[in-house]
Amino acid sequence: MKTKTLMASLATTTALFTAPALAQDCPVKVGVLHSLSGTMAISETTLKDTVLMLVEQQNAKGGLLGCEIEAVVVDPASDWPLFAEKARELLTVSEVDVIFGSWTSVSRKSALPVLEELNGLMFYPVQYEGEESSKNVFYTGAAPNQQAIPAVDYFLEELGVESFALLGTDYVYPRTTNNILDAYLKSKGIADEDIFVNYTPFGHSDWATIVSDVVALGASGKQVGVISTINGDANVGFYKELAAQGVDAADIPVVAFSVGEEELSGLDTAPLVGHLAAWNYFQSADTEINAEFVEAWKAYAGDERVTNDPMEAHYIGFNMWVNAVTEAGTTDVDAVREAMWGQEYPNLTGGTAVMNANHHLSKPVLIGEIRDDGQFDIISQTAEVPGDAWTDHLPESAPLKSDWKELGCGMYNTETGTCVQMTSNY
Amino acid sequence: MRKPDITPRRSFLAENPSVMWFLGLLGLFTLGVTVLAEGFGMALLSTSMVKILGMTLCLCLIAVAMDVVWGYCGILSLGHFAFFGLGGYAIGMWLMYARTEGIVVDSLANAPIPPTQEEINDAIATQIFGVVGSNELPLSWAFADSLFIQLLLVVLVPGLLALVFGWLAFRSRVTGVYLSILTQAMTLALSLYLFQNDTGLRGNNGLSGLQNIPGLLHLPQSTIALWFFWASAAALGLGYLFFAWLISGKFGSVIRGIRDNENRVRFLGYHVESYKLVIFTLTAIVSGLAGALYYPQAGIINPAEIAPIASIYLAVWVAIGGRGRLYGAVIGAAVVSLASSWFTGGGAPDIDLGFYTINWTDWWLVLLGLGFVAVTLFFPRGIGGLFDMLVRKS
Amino acid sequence: MRFTALLARAVALLIIVACALVLRPDEARAQATLQPLLQEHQADLAKPSRQTIGPVIADLLASDHSGMADFLRKWEAREVYLRPEDGLFFYAEEAGGSLRLIDIDSGAAVAEVGSRDVDQIRPNAGVRRELAAALVPYELNAPDPARRAEALEAITRSADASQIAPLAGSIESETDPTLKTRKERLLTLLVAQFGATKSERLDAIAGLGGDTSIEARSVLNQLTATRDGVAETLPDDINLARVLEVGTDLTEAEAHDRLVAADLAPPRQTATDLRDVLAQHIVDGSVGGVPLHQLDTTAARARAYEALEQAGTVPPRAAPDEVAQAVAAHAFYAEYLQPDPQITQAAEDALAATSRTLGLYQTADLVLDGLSLASIFFLAAIGLAITFGVMGVINMAHGEFIMMGAYTGYVVQLFIPDYTVSLLIALPLAFAVTFGAGVAMERLVIRHLYTRPLETLLATFGISIALQQLAKNIFGTQARPLTAPDWLGGAITLNDIVSISTIRVAIFVLALIFLALLLYILKRTRLGLEVRAVTQNPGMAASMGINPDRINMLTFGLGSGIAGIAGVAIGLYAQVTSEMGANYIVQSFMTVVVGGVGNVWGTLAGASLIGFLQKGIEWFNPSNTLAAQTYMVLFVILFIQFRPKGIVALKGRAAGD
Repeated sequence: MKTKTLMASLATTTALFTAPALAQDCPVKVGVLHSLSGTMAISETTLKDTVLMLVEQQNAKGGLLGCEIEAVVVDPASDWPLFAEKARELLTVSEVDVIFGSWTSVSRKSALPVLEELNGLMFYPVQYEGEESSKNVFYTGAAPNQQAIPAVDYFLEELGVESFALLGTDYVYPRTTNNILDAYLKSKGIADEDIFVNYTPFGHSDWATIVSDVVALGASGKQVGVISTINGDANVGFYKELAAQGVDAADIPVVAFSVGEEELSGLDTAPLVGHLAAWNYFQSADTEINAEFVEAWKAYAGDERVTNDPMEAHYIGFNMWVNAVTEAGTTDVDAVREAMWGQEYPNLTGGTAVMNANHHLSKPVLIGEIRDDGQFDIISQTAEVPGDAWTDHLPESAPLKSDWKELGCGMYNTETGTCVQMTSNY
Repeated sequence: MRKPDITPRRSFLAENPSVMWFLGLLGLFTLGVTVLAEGFGMALLSTSMVKILGMTLCLCLIAVAMDVVWGYCGILSLGHFAFFGLGGYAIGMWLMYARTEGIVVDSLANAPIPPTQEEINDAIATQIFGVVGSNELPLSWAFADSLFIQLLLVVLVPGLLALVFGWLAFRSRVTGVYLSILTQAMTLALSLYLFQNDTGLRGNNGLSGLQNIPGLLHLPQSTIALWFFWASAAALGLGYLFFAWLISGKFGSVIRGIRDNENRVRFLGYHVESYKLVIFTLTAIVSGLAGALYYPQAGIINPAEIAPIASIYLAVWVAIGGRGRLYGAVIGAAVVSLASSWFTGGGAPDIDLGFYTINWTDWWLVLLGLGFVAVTLFFPRGIGGLFDMLVRKS
Repeated sequence: MRFTALLARAVALLIIVACALVLRPDEARAQATLQPLLQEHQADLAKPSRQTIGPVIADLLASDHSGMADFLRKWEAREVYLRPEDGLFFYAEEAGGSLRLIDIDSGAAVAEVGSRDVDQIRPNAGVRRELAAALVPYELNAPDPARRAEALEAITRSADASQIAPLAGSIESETDPTLKTRKERLLTLLVAQFGATKSERLDAIAGLGGDTSIEARSVLNQLTATRDGVAETLPDDINLARVLEVGTDLTEAEAHDRLVAADLAPPRQTATDLRDVLAQHIVDGSVGGVPLHQLDTTAARARAYEALEQAGTVPPRAAPDEVAQAVAAHAFYAEYLQPDPQITQAAEDALAATSRTLGLYQTADLVLDGLSLASIFFLAAIGLAITFGVMGVINMAHGEFIMMGAYTGYVVQLFIPDYTVSLLIALPLAFAVTFGAGVAMERLVIRHLYTRPLETLLATFGISIALQQLAKNIFGTQARPLTAPDWLGGAITLNDIVSISTIRVAIFVLALIFLALLLYILKRTRLGLEVRAVTQNPGMAASMGINPDRINMLTFGLGSGIAGIAGVAIGLYAQVTSEMGANYIVQSFMTVVVGGVGNVWGTLAGASLIGFLQKGIEWFNPSNTLAAQTYMVLFVILFIQFRPKGIVALKGRAAGD
């Protein structure tokens, strides 16, 4: 009996939600699909706050299309199936006009079928492994050619690294990125035996042997460099072990793709000075608009909070969406998508980001050295690099191309001249 | 193994009015949801709600299985969610393969030269395993193109694993908390194994897009959700009936005896290990079936689903619902999992204490944990026990 | 007369020339300031890249300007700024939120500007390495020993032939004995690589024999580096390393790929190539007479190609036997990059001499890592073993006690900034906090469930999830810093191979202390006696006047307290998060069960077995730590099947059944 009443009450609450949403266009609704609990809450809560801040700022400027913007926040709780469930809820029950959300690839791939089925629109703000281009997603984070490849080029050209250790957490982003890097390094003449690969579980803490293995690579007489796709908490133990074994950045530089200002705040960075990270944004970028952004963030979220790359991605994505909606004069997904192509917005680090027809951004690539205050010294900043949905460095992906504007296809095979698939295969 | 006494079916139902009640209520509930659902008519229940309810029914089914193995046979298995996951993986492989095959064949249809079977296979493998950096179909996918074989595997894989594991463990007379830890270790090993990207089941990404059923892509999700809801309800009804029948006869008496005092049952001449093995394997198979129904509704399965903590939660549901009564397990699973999504989904209002606001997204787990301690301490019979008291009073 | 006059004139001339030579730098300084010289290379200096900076540095140093070395040092330290409006370089110093620009030549303050008005020039690590190498001759004799040591570091990082002379020249005058040995060693390494004569190189190489240090092996490995080659016949003008046998050293396909890469054979036709060729020759819905719809098998495609081949429209394709023939007709080999066979031979000999000690040291290092991991497992599990063994209670919240200990350490560090003091306070405090928590839990929950061990498991699990979420609510999900004091920061290094971080040694010592302490408490104290009595037979113990309630409470507190201390230790070397306990709990259970319940020695055995086993599996498959963990768990499952009571089985009725 108890179950029945509970279910019934749940049913009525949902029913109440469904009814009035159809009535009018105002307010414009923005869905936020970031985990607020569970393992990913650490990273994603910040992004939820970022979107809320951006909504608040936009409302202060007079809203959108004469409407107030309303944020609808749900918590998928770091539980991947819940991303699909909550995305469906956002699109059908709350009837949001756009979703900002996801962090891990698997959570994005969980939400994708729902987005494509219901023709939703999502902005995905995190650097990822590429090999995807959905009609219903705009990728504002870096594709491998906007982060991994430039970082490896920096290793090859500027640091003269000849022997590579690719260390990663065992999940899709490191696996695919390392695959791409492996192919890329070989095309640059690095031999197989000079590429050491290791995968560790999430939250790994016993790094002694792995760091010794990396140090031992130096015996080949080649300059050793570490490319780290280690994720989250595990970095703490990894960097502590590096410091304990006295691995100097000048001897064995480590470049990380998942370590930003946020992650360094759990560490004493003094022994890590000089190690590197590659991103499209660092808080230390010395520009007028970045100073404003950082200030607004600290005022909104607290003085001790730092900004990071995915936050900039949401900043660009949100503002582009606002401009696209204004241009289209409607929040209708198809109209907004067309208005998004070619949309431009200034980067926080200088220059202008452009949304390409493959739904990826053109952004500059930055390489930073860790400072002892937990921030980064930007030592290299490229011109804007267009994000590449399908990498050129893997044989299966090289002939693939995404162009929603001209070809209307996210996975177009240029060799056979056919569209491989319209909806993603998740 | 001795065959349990088969009492005529009519008298079985007559002897167990609770089973009648349960089936009746389940039928009513199914009817109610159908009438209210978006896919059928009144559209008062959204499709996501129908999916949640369908998934909850699958969780109820595995909870019933857990209750049989723990509440009736006394084996606290912390591994039944592994069987649930294996069932999901087995059906997920077919769903993924068949859907990808459709996409691949469509895309190659325009090619100037018709594709060979190898080319189709290669393209499918690249599509499925591209994300984990491979382009070959592993051996374990050899039968992924056959729905029939994969359905068979839904039963066989969890069943065989349970059979082998149970045989080893029961033979060595591992009992009590040792057995619990051992089953937990098995779950951990399985989830660690699946987490590896080169083991052929796409690692951390798992199998996704499972809600798109090959061959039914033209149907709206609201219809498919309802179909799965019906299937889940039917599975729960049948499973309940089966287990209720199993435990009502002499077989049930023996396994209850094993729970209460294993040695005495052994001295009475029963082969305790066989009984345990049968129960362990049967419940594992039912768990696998529940998983095979659950994951096409959830849309994605990955190793995190199998992590040891999921199986502990399963025990929690059964304990809260009340062990040793099948409807208790159903109540526990339904109440806790629905309450979970209500609290974490922002449904529960925040409580403002003046100096601090209790936000249920943050505090739900604390409440659940402490509530669980309270149930164990003060209501060892769980919600089902309260229910019994009410029934007896009236 | 004439002669003396001539001599005098010559001497005078010499003096003038000498003076001119001596004075020239002064004149140069008088004539040229540094800025114009820098402006010549403005673009390269402002955006330095390792690839282009070499000639620029050489050019700058060639100017012989006395301020040059100083400029390079400042440039390396990122103290040089560029003013975009006029492109001039300045030194700068912080002046209350803005920058005070200092003229490079005069040293006078020029202006104060905001940080966005000038560009800080940040040479990257590669450029800095080049700079440090260029500055070596200046720094080798610097008065400050630290700078001399840095110069030596620079030599190890980018060694080249030009450093031999200044390094050799600086040894004589070196006063610091450590630096002197270091200089001599570096000289050997440099000479082995770049020595002018063969004999001195051979001597130096021989001197490196048996040296297991990374830098020595790195030099030797460079000398013996090879490249692969292929030719029709083995060339005799090369320094051959070895001949590669097809089938053993490389597969036929690989060999053929090398031939293709060297343009010695045409590429094999892949299935895709075949399809593409066929697609180009579609005539009226068929290829080579084979209708299109039939071309969905390999055999049909081959037939179509043969038809085209016979018609002469496509070139013949390489059959499998042609691949084999082409491979057989060529020699595959590896040749040394170093042309001189004597030197490569000497280097190979020197390397061979190290291989055995190397293996020994590597094993030793592996054993150390295993010991360290075992001691961590031991610390994490011993508390659990005590409560499990004595009370038959499974405490699922044990991991959360570890976490509480670690957070206690973090909180103490918030209040006491001195890491040593805070650690000394954190250890007993963590014990006290978790002891209290353990006793509270025992009194409030576990006491009521002694007759129902399975339910204790579930109740403590409830506590575990509540505590975990509480920690998240209080401390957030972000990992929190728990920093070891400096004296625990580094590593204890025997040589380049065998080393272990100090913190791990400390954990090992801590584990030993607890082992001794527990043995002492259990075997030598009244409490221990009572604990053992309760373990063996609670009913009998109670009838002998022992209060089992009190014993249970104390044991539980003790077990939890040790978990707290383990938490501080683990937090020092790894991350402090709300989930850290969960990472250790299953491992701890396995340790306890494998070792045998209720016995300190058993836990030690279990921890050692699991620790060493995991390291051993990792060693076999270094690229996949996750797989190692999987196999370890599988092993434990099998192990328990064969020894259900663990390595050290407890006698009596205590084991719980």
